[in-house]
This record gives sequence, structure tokens and C-alpha cells, in this order.
Amino acid sequence: MPAIVDRHPAQPRGDSRAGGTPATALFWRLFGLNTMVFVAGAGVLVLTPATVSAQTAIREVVVLATLLVAMLVVNAMLLRRSLRPLDGLSALMERVDLLRPGERLAVRGAGDVSHLVRTFNEMLDRLEAERGESSAQMLAAQEGERKRIAQELHDEIGQSLTAVLLSLKRTVDRAPEDLRDELRSVQELIRGSLDEVRQVARRLRPGVLDDLGLHSAMSALATDFTEASNVTITRRVDPHLPELGKDSELVLYRIAQESLTNIARHAGASQVELSLTREPEGVVLRIIDDGRGLDGAAEGAGIRGMRERAILIGAHLTLGPGPTGGTEVRLTIPDRTRRG
Amino acid sequence: MESGKTRILLADDHALVRRGLRLILDGEPDLEVVAEAGDGAEALELSGRGDVDLAILDIAMPRMTGLQAAREMSRRAPDVRILMLSMYDNEQYFFEALKAGASGYVLKSVADRDLVEACRAAMRGEPFLYAGAVTALIRDYLQRKRQNDRLPDSILTPREEEIVKLIAEGHSSKEIAQTLVISVKTVDRHRANILQKLGMRDRLDLTRFAIRAGLVEP
Repeated sequence: MPAIVDRHPAQPRGDSRAGGTPATALFWRLFGLNTMVFVAGAGVLVLTPATVSAQTAIREVVVLATLLVAMLVVNAMLLRRSLRPLDGLSALMERVDLLRPGERLAVRGAGDVSHLVRTFNEMLDRLEAERGESSAQMLAAQEGERKRIAQELHDEIGQSLTAVLLSLKRTVDRAPEDLRDELRSVQELIRGSLDEVRQVARRLRPGVLDDLGLHSAMSALATDFTEASNVTITRRVDPHLPELGKDSELVLYRIAQESLTNIARHAGASQVELSLTREPEGVVLRIIDDGRGLDGAAEGAGIRGMRERAILIGAHLTLGPGPTGGTEVRLTIPDRTRRG
Repeated sequence: MESGKTRILLADDHALVRRGLRLILDGEPDLEVVAEAGDGAEALELSGRGDVDLAILDIAMPRMTGLQAAREMSRRAPDVRILMLSMYDNEQYFFEALKAGASGYVLKSVADRDLVEACRAAMRGEPFLYAGAVTALIRDYLQRKRQNDRLPDSILTPREEEIVKLIAEGHSSKEIAQTLVISVKTVDRHRANILQKLGMRDRLDLTRFAIRAGLVEP
């Protein structure tokens, strides 16, 4: 706690208003408290017949010591009371996590410490805004890069491999019998590479989302998931969703994708429910499985990424136990009108 | 042309791919490429000339995608059959292609094997489904059946049921043939029968099924 107080005076650069900064205000308060205690001590000395002889008597030492202890106790009590709100501040500092924004201390009264709390809250606001901005830029850059690579894979390598495959077909048909088997295996090799290129491109960038829209993209996700994991998925996508905008759609898609990946990898689920519906509070994406559940497992990079993406579009993400065990991931995108 | 050859318009933005496709198509006695286009808009223009029976469109082209071109084409030149050529092994694109008016969907990675057959199927008025699409359809059918969802009781023979199961598990025709010790041709015939019995005989049936099953938006 003292560290906070010590470090604080460095902050208000160039602020010359007397008592205008928490540091000076706090200084004057502490100074005032101490002065009060000292004045009281001095008063006791002046107003009572107590004296200290040149050669201090034992009795005098006892009186002085008692007085000193009394002063220290009073001082300590006063200081403690006035510094108590700093405890809450330091607890919040330890707890604060920019991935779960919106946590603030309540500001009580108008004193110096509450000023400090207010300043701290404002700092959190600023940090969250800055973090949001920089992760928005980072994600946009990442998505842009992925899109470019996926496109190049498709348009360049994919097309070239296709061309090779097509030309090879004629060669195989006209080749002498003893070469044909060999050529066929080359053909299959190229076909395999083409499939791989396609899969990589698809993981990099959801082409379906760009080309066919959110509804199709969600269906494709669900199908891919069932194919890869053999877990049954029930899909419910409201056909009349409001216009969400490209960014929100991409975030929705990525969060659903990440959730399904997590389920396939860790949950050991047998049933998954994916729904995208319109609720009073906004558009809600819900992914519920009947697997092992989170069970206090540490949040990995995947979930952190989900949180960052949610913050990006001003959406609210919660992860918790589902209604019947397992895990429920819930993303709420508030209505645009309410978001302003 | 007068000898009954199918006159084909070929549209792909990649010249080498176009060349490869053309070589394969021209190598068949009943097929002939009469026009080539490098983008969707050009393809649409050429399809209106009246000398094209079948248009083969790449799904991703500049200026106008294959899907957009197909939509316009089936409106402006309804006599021209359309085949979609695509890199995407994804039934969403397949259904979208059907909705746009295409009668078949051929994956580029198996175009050397499937394209000629798809052209002939399109000219016969049958839909051409790539293996992944059949799997998706059948898997969906099975899931609905398990959930007792308003689908008619199965009229499939035990053999067909067996094949349905294998297809749903993602086995290729070749693997199914090996498992059941029958020829690939027989498997394909079963496959066609199954689709027909499930009410997915032609493009419109398929589209209707896909919409009803919620696989694609109406």
C-alpha cells in the first residue's frame, strides 16, 4: 500500500492547483492529521504541570513514553481509516483483466482517495479503449493477411495443380500400358496436394462466409464439425437475423469455429447444439455441449482469442457450465441501435 | 454440331485450366467446346449467342462470379444447361449452385475423372452430384430418420440401406465396391436409385430437399 502512495506524486506533472491533485490533497490530509496529534501532545505538555528535569527522572520517562504511545496509537488509527479505500484499489489492481472489461471500483465521497479511485477508473477506461483499438488493428491485419494467402493458394497454386491434373489425364490415356500405373499414382499424388491446398485455404479463410453469407457459413461449420468429430450437432439458425455487418459476422464465425474446435479436442461430447437467434438483448450465439465441462481448466490462447474478438465488436462473451452439464459458450451482440 | 455434338461454352479465368479442360472435352466424340470465356460477364454474353447447349462455369471468376453468371444465364438463356466447376468441396456451394440454376457441380480436383460424365448427365437432364454432396445429403437424411422427422418411411432395399450407411460414413464408391464385393458400376447404380427413391431425382427435387432440410436458405 505505501508503494501506491509513494509512486503517486510522479503522476500529476505540471498541475499547479493547490490541493488539486490526489497527491497534494493526501499530503495535506496526512500532514494535518499528524499536526493535530503533535499539537495535542504539545498541548498536554503546556497545559499540564508535567515537566522534564535536566536529569530525567524515571517517572517523567514513564509519562513521556505513555504520551508518545498514545499519540502513535491515535495517529495510526486516523491514518488507517483514511487510507482504507486504497485496499480496495490494490485488490482491483491485482484482479483487473483487460479481457474482461468493465470492472470498476465504486467512487464514494469526494475526498482525495476517492479522487485517486476515480483517476484509476479513468485509466482503466483508457487502457481498455487502447487495447481494443490495437487488437482490432491486429485482428484486421491478421484476417487480411489470411484472406490474401488463402486467395493466392486458391488462385495460383490450386489452379496450376488443376491444370497439371487436366493435362495429365490426356497423357495417361495415351500412355503405353506399362507407364500407365505409374502415371496414375502421380495423378493421385497431385489430387492429394490439391485437396490439401484447398483445406489449408479453407481453414485460413471462411470463403463460404464471404461468398454465401452467415447462414451458409454456419451450416458449413456444423457439417465440417460432424465430419471431423462424428459428434451429432443440432443447428438452429434464425433465418431472419438483423443485418450484423461484416466484422460482427466474422467474429461470430470465428468464435463458433473456435468453440467447436475446443469441443472436438477436449470436451468428449456426444451432442452439440449450435444456435444463432434473435433475443430481446440482441443476437445471441449459443454453443452447448454435453461433454466434460470447463472444470476450472486454465483458459488457453483459443479462449483468449475469443474474448478479444468479442470485445472488438462490443459483444459480451460468457463461458460456463451448460444447463445439463457440459459447457455453454454464449456470445451476445447487442443491437446496433443500443450500441449507438 | 449438326451431328448431335453437345456445344460447350467454357468459362474459367485461368487460361491453363481452360486449355486442360478443353483438351479433355474435345477428346470426346460427343462433346465440343465452341466458346471460351475468361470471366463471368463474358460467359454470360457468349451464352446468348444461341449456339451453346451447355455452359461450364468456374464458380470463382472475376467481374462476375460463376454463381452470378449462372443466375443470369438461367434467366436469359433458359435452354442452356449449366455445370458448375469448383474448388470448394462444400455442399453449401453445391446447393447455392443448384439454386442458381446449375444442374451439376464438379470438383476441380476430380474434374479429369468426372467432367465428361457430368456433361453427359446434364444433357440427359439428370443432376450430377459430386461424392461429398451425396454424403452430405445422405447423412442428413439419416439424421432426420433417427430423429423421426417427417420423412417417409424408408423404401430402400436392405442392400441400398447398407450402401446408404457406407456413403454416410464417407466411403468412396470404390471402397464400397470392395467392401460389398460388387463392381463400382453397381454401386453407382445403387447410388442413383437411392437418390431417386429419396425424392432427389432432379435439380429441383434436390433444391427442395435441401431447403426443407434447412441445408440451405430458401
